[in-house]
Amino acid sequence: MRDVYLIGAGQTAFGAFPQRSYRDLFAKAYQHARKRVDGDIETKDIDEAVVGSLGVGGRQLGLSGPAVTEHVGLQNIPCTRVENACAAGGFAVRQAVQAIRSGMADVVLAGGFEVMSDLSSEMTKYWLGVSGETEWERLTGTTFSGVYAQMASAYLDTYDATVEDLSRVAVKNHKNGAKNPKAHLDFECSLEDAVGAPEVANPLNLYHCCPTSDGAAVALLASEDVVGEYTDDRLRVAGVGAASDHVGLAERDSYVGLAATETAAQTAYERSGVGPDDLDFAEIHDCFAIAELLAYEDLDFCERGEAAKLLREGITEPDGDLPVNTSGGLKSKGHPIGATGTGQMVEVFDQFTGQAGDRQLDSPRYGLTHNVGGSGGATVVHVFENEGVKR
Amino acid sequence: MSVTEDTRLAAIEAVGTYIPRYRLSADVVTEAWGQFHGAGISETAVPAADEDTLTMGYEAATRVLDASDIDPTTIDGLFVGTTTPPTEEEAMGPRLASMLGLGEETKTRQFTGSTRAGVEALLAGSQRAKRRTLVIATDAPRGAPDDEQEHAGGAGAAAAVLGPSGAGQLPEHAEYVEVYPGTRFRSAGSTETTGLGITEYDRSAFIETVTKATAALDSDPTDADAVALQSPNGKLPYRTAGELGVETETIQQGTVVHAIGDTGTAGPLLGLASALTAGANRVLLLGYGSGGNATALTVVDEGIEVASTPIDEMETVGLSYGEYLRLRGEITAGEPAGGGAYVSVPSWKRTIPQRHRLVAGRCPDCGVLSFPPTGACPGCGALVDYEPAELPGTGTVEAVTAIGQGGAPPEFVEQQAKSGPYVSAVVALDGTEGSETVSIPAQVVSVDPEEVAIGDRVTATVRRLYTQEDVTRYGFKMQPTDR
Repeated sequence: MRDVYLIGAGQTAFGAFPQRSYRDLFAKAYQHARKRVDGDIETKDIDEAVVGSLGVGGRQLGLSGPAVTEHVGLQNIPCTRVENACAAGGFAVRQAVQAIRSGMADVVLAGGFEVMSDLSSEMTKYWLGVSGETEWERLTGTTFSGVYAQMASAYLDTYDATVEDLSRVAVKNHKNGAKNPKAHLDFECSLEDAVGAPEVANPLNLYHCCPTSDGAAVALLASEDVVGEYTDDRLRVAGVGAASDHVGLAERDSYVGLAATETAAQTAYERSGVGPDDLDFAEIHDCFAIAELLAYEDLDFCERGEAAKLLREGITEPDGDLPVNTSGGLKSKGHPIGATGTGQMVEVFDQFTGQAGDRQLDSPRYGLTHNVGGSGGATVVHVFENEGVKR
Repeated sequence: MSVTEDTRLAAIEAVGTYIPRYRLSADVVTEAWGQFHGAGISETAVPAADEDTLTMGYEAATRVLDASDIDPTTIDGLFVGTTTPPTEEEAMGPRLASMLGLGEETKTRQFTGSTRAGVEALLAGSQRAKRRTLVIATDAPRGAPDDEQEHAGGAGAAAAVLGPSGAGQLPEHAEYVEVYPGTRFRSAGSTETTGLGITEYDRSAFIETVTKATAALDSDPTDADAVALQSPNGKLPYRTAGELGVETETIQQGTVVHAIGDTGTAGPLLGLASALTAGANRVLLLGYGSGGNATALTVVDEGIEVASTPIDEMETVGLSYGEYLRLRGEITAGEPAGGGAYVSVPSWKRTIPQRHRLVAGRCPDCGVLSFPPTGACPGCGALVDYEPAELPGTGTVEAVTAIGQGGAPPEFVEQQAKSGPYVSAVVALDGTEGSETVSIPAQVVSVDPEEVAIGDRVTATVRRLYTQEDVTRYGFKMQPTDR
């Protein structure tokens, strides 16, 4: 199987841009990604595109994939839109890796885009809930905040963790996001702010929920056969894992972990030969604060019930043993559904190529990304290795 | 006019009641309006945001069936009386029959258009001499915010099972009709019952019809231990004492309006349940309908099972006037634009056995329960045709949240606005064998949200889930088992 390398990644800022179109956002992300490829890359070099989007603000657009690639001059190439709710972008990357490994393509664009802020707040809530289990779960009056709140209730009931621990996720990720020029909510918050915010769905308050954002992000991937034509950096996709689970929470065996994440992570670790102890950083899907705690355990960063300790002891801070969400995560950097997974690629690229500015870690070698659809119905995990410079 | 001694009537086996837990006191209304027009009433019962006459009727019927351990499939008549059905057209019978698990051959009738409809339904049910009939009287009358119908308006339901082996004989009944237009009416398209408020005229209509109907009975009203009388307010029933020749204490025995308000068609039957509990053996049941007419029935109790009574109900929750206006939807904005999760009515219909009666499926291969019974078996993963297994409706909370303002999807924004934070949980429903459970998402109602915790035992009821395209979807919700 051919190895696949990340040769460039770029994005728009994430934020509220109600007046921008999804094509315009995608074009900006595409230009940014191309610019960041060392040796530059021509439009004609890209063999295929896979793009993730939930539905551009609830407008059930068909063919929004070709609509963005044709818009930027990527003409006549195969383009597929992937829909896996909030994991659409991560799964677009996985599809790109598959296309290259299979030999069907040498250079593939994995993108994602979403415009959410031009909707009324009610329309936004209507639309967000559609990735849950709509016939039973939603009809108890929940959107995702409610379902993650149920998981949080079970977690706080099962383990020695508190609402304050949930708030620590917000404090950490906002601190990181404040240093990210692309972040949507680029400000710091105190633990006091994050504990005392208005309740959304008990025990989750406003600071335990990520924003809905607009934005686009693009990753460019190349086969081992052609990577040298574009860059001397060797940022290898070391392993990929993905899994699905029941869309509704009540159907699952556990409410204090996402089985799909566990499976995806095990697969990615096995295929890459990289374990959680080897990782130098991770970008994980913190749509709600509880999701970051669950992910620590599902990704095997710690034992079951120990996630709060990692936060309390600063292990996942930028200067800790395993920095998590140096980009600010979904909480601070933002969450433009389809673009979130490819947005994680931008942080990986920044950290590996020393372009992370104030967020820069000290020469990381292994990084992990974790992207979840809905409340855990689909998960994809990528492990990356910076192999260094090859000429 | 006739007096009937009809020995072929079915008798009352059991009665039960249901009153919503919210109360609006006369003091609170007085504080808001400077006066209170519900004469003789201290509190009125107010339905929760997800309750209506259909769900209240279901609750009362469930209590009767459960308390007397009556198999619903032995009932083949369902007679409902209400002046305030959830929809002006579309019968309540089919939904109620489905929720209660009655058979496909059930004769369903709906009596409406008059507060007498509850007693009418009871009488009609009793005339099915050799059959078992479930009679439900359920009502929640409203008026204009500042009038006596609104101030007096309560909410509640009563249910009775009648059959050939009942212990509550109905030896006689009589009716009287005399035209009295304008005492109480609701124009087409209106949700507010009103009247011309001509005190003496209204009083004459009431007293004349109920007295004449009573006079047409064989027995003397003074033989009755209690009179359970239509109660538009808390004074009018007592005004009849003189004409009927009974003591006010006898009327008091069968009157519950002071504590729950005017419960329309349900009033006389709620009074009957109350009188039976207090030990009355002979009850004069009087239904009055504006228009006007009255029905008189004598009930002779030789051991009617009383499942519940309106007064010593569940714990009640007092409302402020602001809370009342919210709960009634007077000051809420209605469903916002943007639509909800769309579940088409045909696809909803497919799930009705689960929504109404918790019909799970048992895997014929591995025996594991599945709810809803669709898709691959959660036990063995095989795509199987499940064997229906009706769950007992009890369970344990496994995960729980209270959805606050801003956390509700659009189709639940109105519920949130009316009732404040509501509880959404994952509940492990008890199975039918051993300690097996099957988990489902469900709201938990009839409880303060902060009181619901993981591990709590809960029991199923049926409430309104939401309304889409003007079609209300009813389905199970859970409430604390000690309710």
